[in-house]
Amino acid sequence: MAAVFVRHPRIRGHDVSTTITDIGQSGTPAESRQDSAAAHQPVALVDLLDRLLGAGVMLSGDITISIAGIDLVEVRLHALITSVRAEMRSTDPTVSRTEPREVIR
Amino acid sequence: MTDSASYVYLAARDLPDDAVAGVTGLSEGPLRLVRSAGLVAVVSTVDLAEFGEDALRRNLEDLGWLERVARTHDEVVNRIGRLTAVAPWRLATIMLDDDRVADLLDTWQAELNASLARVEGCSEWSVKLFADVSERPAADPVGSRQETGTAYLQRRRTETARKADATQSATVAADQIHLSLSQLTAASRRLPPQDRRLTGHKGEMVLNGAYLVPDEQSQEFVTMVKQLGDELTDSRLDLQGPWPPYSFATLESAGTT
Repeated sequence: MAAVFVRHPRIRGHDVSTTITDIGQSGTPAESRQDSAAAHQPVALVDLLDRLLGAGVMLSGDITISIAGIDLVEVRLHALITSVRAEMRSTDPTVSRTEPREVIR
Repeated sequence: MTDSASYVYLAARDLPDDAVAGVTGLSEGPLRLVRSAGLVAVVSTVDLAEFGEDALRRNLEDLGWLERVARTHDEVVNRIGRLTAVAPWRLATIMLDDDRVADLLDTWQAELNASLARVEGCSEWSVKLFADVSERPAADPVGSRQETGTAYLQRRRTETARKADATQSATVAADQIHLSLSQLTAASRRLPPQDRRLTGHKGEMVLNGAYLVPDEQSQEFVTMVKQLGDELTDSRLDLQGPWPPYSFATLESAGTT
């Protein structure tokens, strides 16, 4: 699957409280939701990887098929920067540097 | 020897047996529950040809693969997070079989229970502060062809000094904002500022804060961030959320304030 880079309006602070998005998969029936549970907003890929790679539960030992010896953050930055650079080469560099962008599917 | 393994998405304390019925995860594999030590893990079967150690080294460098796995992981966390408090596992945590997943729950029982208690009824919010160091048009609208070299250098020096001042004052503002929000929230973390090459953001990111906010106080938190943002002149606040408590439901974050 190719990554697609699009301009995506940032969610401003004053919009957040009124923006409710169902992040469930389309086509699947809505499931029961506890009244107290928050309707979570989509997470930008960079923010998601910040957390899933950098802050997830860390394990070591032979029971985990780990990615031993690899700094995951470095892997992420390498992969993303490479892709972003490739994208920027194919577009107007002025536009790509000045417009907020998020990586989405 | 098997050629498949169990991918662990998250741990929770209480989930009914049918909580993941009919829901698929990575590679369209059906989700299932593994119970032990009073905890439950949500897992699915993945192929070691794709998720084995050698394959992972290769695939983690593939942005398309990384994004697909991260998004699927996030979808599962979101879906289960609507039902109960969840402790998301790190991306690509893979156990050889479900017995090893049960061992995992046994081993980390105390820490997982502490994590789940911490995030119960809470969501994560992201607050970023950007110093405005964007180029400003010259005050003197003289065309560049008429501008002398001396004038050009003077303008560049002035611009450089202004950017340094903006970054300095924004750094102070970032500390103050983080302190204010930390006192208001259940827990907080400062993540490293993100690389502009990844985000394309304007200005200099001087705060990449994560805040754990009780859901019943989310409106108050949003109002507080908006007020803080309104007080800024040469920088701007970016608020996002609510998200699952990724930065706070993890074992290594147990020491956060």
